[in-house]
Amino acid sequence: MITLDGFAQALLFGIANGCVYILLATGLNLIFGVMKLVNFAHGQLLMVGAFVAYETTKIFGLNPYASILVSMGSVALIGILLEKFAFSRVRGTEKLNEIFISLGLIYVFENVATLFWEKNYNIQINSPLVGLSLSLGEIAVSYDRILAMVIVVVILIGLMLLMSKSKIGLAMRATSQKSDASMLMGININRVYLFTFAVGAALAGAAGALYGIIFNFNPTVGALPTIKGFAIIILGGLGSLPGAVVGGLLYGIAETSTAYVLSDPAVLGSAGSWPDAIAFALLIAVLVVRPTGIFGQKGE
Amino acid sequence: MDFKATMTETLRSRKLYYIIAAVAFASILPLFVTSKYIIGQVFVVMIIFALYASSWNLLAYSGQGSLGHAAFLGIGGFASALIATKLGFPSIVGLFLGGLISAGIGFLIGLACVRLKAWFLAMVTFGFSVIIIAIITQFDALFGGVNGFPTIPIAAQTLPFYYATLAIAAVSIALIFLVMQSKLGLAFKAIRENELEAKMTGINTGKYRLVAFVISTFFAGLAGGLYAQSQLFIQISIFEPYNSFLPLIMSVIGGLSTIEGPIIGSVIIVTINSYLPAANKFLEPLSPLFPGATNNVGSALGLIGLGLFLIAVVIFLPKGITSLLSKALRKAYDFFREDKSKTKKAKSVGET
Repeated sequence: MITLDGFAQALLFGIANGCVYILLATGLNLIFGVMKLVNFAHGQLLMVGAFVAYETTKIFGLNPYASILVSMGSVALIGILLEKFAFSRVRGTEKLNEIFISLGLIYVFENVATLFWEKNYNIQINSPLVGLSLSLGEIAVSYDRILAMVIVVVILIGLMLLMSKSKIGLAMRATSQKSDASMLMGININRVYLFTFAVGAALAGAAGALYGIIFNFNPTVGALPTIKGFAIIILGGLGSLPGAVVGGLLYGIAETSTAYVLSDPAVLGSAGSWPDAIAFALLIAVLVVRPTGIFGQKGE
Repeated sequence: MDFKATMTETLRSRKLYYIIAAVAFASILPLFVTSKYIIGQVFVVMIIFALYASSWNLLAYSGQGSLGHAAFLGIGGFASALIATKLGFPSIVGLFLGGLISAGIGFLIGLACVRLKAWFLAMVTFGFSVIIIAIITQFDALFGGVNGFPTIPIAAQTLPFYYATLAIAAVSIALIFLVMQSKLGLAFKAIRENELEAKMTGINTGKYRLVAFVISTFFAGLAGGLYAQSQLFIQISIFEPYNSFLPLIMSVIGGLSTIEGPIIGSVIIVTINSYLPAANKFLEPLSPLFPGATNNVGSALGLIGLGLFLIAVVIFLPKGITSLLSKALRKAYDFFREDKSKTKKAKSVGET
């Protein structure tokens, strides 16, 4: 049965899920916007972030929401290493080389993770708020999802302040517009690239920790979020940060409402993988109809 | 100009001789190997993946790097197996129909892809290969679920199938080589080097990119059909992203946009993979250190090594192992020529 309340519930869930995707897509988009680099291993960074948060809560008994900071920091560090030792080496050569390197990274990350955590065994980060939810009449939203939304908003505001107020943000924006001109203006673009990659990776780490709190995950979880991230940034427009936010919300809502319409409410996840298939169809449709996305500028 | 033309001409014919020599070598190889497993599972897979990687490489030759070729491998495999087992056609007919069906779907995906830039195309193909697994698992009755269903090989195992596979793959790779050398291949190359300039010289870039897509997906489908038959079973796992990345890794490691690159890459990667079970056994004592992979430590380490190898090749040897080989060949050639000229000189000195 499809009811209005049920639909509102799906909508709310979609917004909450969309918030996690927004973080991932914003990181992808930031890296693309400034560096013109598409990191196909971004979903694997999310996976690493989820595992870091999982282990820090398990070993040190840290609150999962505090462990977000830990996973942001460690994934940012990984990002710095990747940029310094891999991606910066092929800058200026063919675009395909960057894609090849990120593929190699997918192999490395996924298999290092399978060494330590079982491949097909799903785990979830234990949140102290598990099972608690806010009920609004017929609709109920778990506190975890509400908190995730709040955290995403806080992080996004922080990112916006960083981009608009700080000097490095100015340098990033300048580099994204014209890298050689900003180099002539005295910007050390290699440092800007390093910083951009670190911020993008930190966003993926935060997304990973939230993902691990809301969904369950395993070492091979990364591929699908990467594709969702692509769908979102293509939907919103490549390189546009507000585009990633709108795209993420639209995507999350589209996903949960298809799941709601197609599924038997008594059986969890009975819509199977149709929502993912529909998301992919959306991606292709946007690419064919409006390759620049909703907020994208011409040229790229 | 003339000199250059003749140079390419000789190089072309020399490459052709190499291919013929490789096929001759492959056809006498089983005489020296007695293990049925090595012929049926290592050599055959090597040949099939050489074809599969060559099909990917042809697409990359036109500047389009697909990240979802396993979709076409799987479509070809499933289509050919279903046509042979459910509809009762002979396997060889199923094989080619499977290739055609794969090319048909490749045409549709290609329509969406031909206007896209490198990263968009990679995203769409990558997405397609992941989504197609999701879709196929919804139709377990037809596709046999996780367990799959048995296939009917075109020839009996092991030797007849080996030679049949070798023949089909050799002809297919020769055709791919011809395409690369032809005017069509020249157009692909022009598009790869600079699409805008290619367009300005009057090449209908969209059309040619689509042609590359169709040819490439046809051969990928063919390889998929052969692969399904070589394994005697076809399962959904044929679609997994690993199979999408393999042809890319093989081509990059061997040498991108060369005819011999994917073949060399396939030989290297399949050889390494065939040692993984032994490595798993050898490394089993390490498993307490790695709680996630109790008896797969060797495979996991192997895959990590593969990823690092790919990254290292892209950074340090962007033209692949082929470039090393051709450098060595040229050095040897120069060495012998120098030797000859020296003896000539010595002779002339002696005469005067």
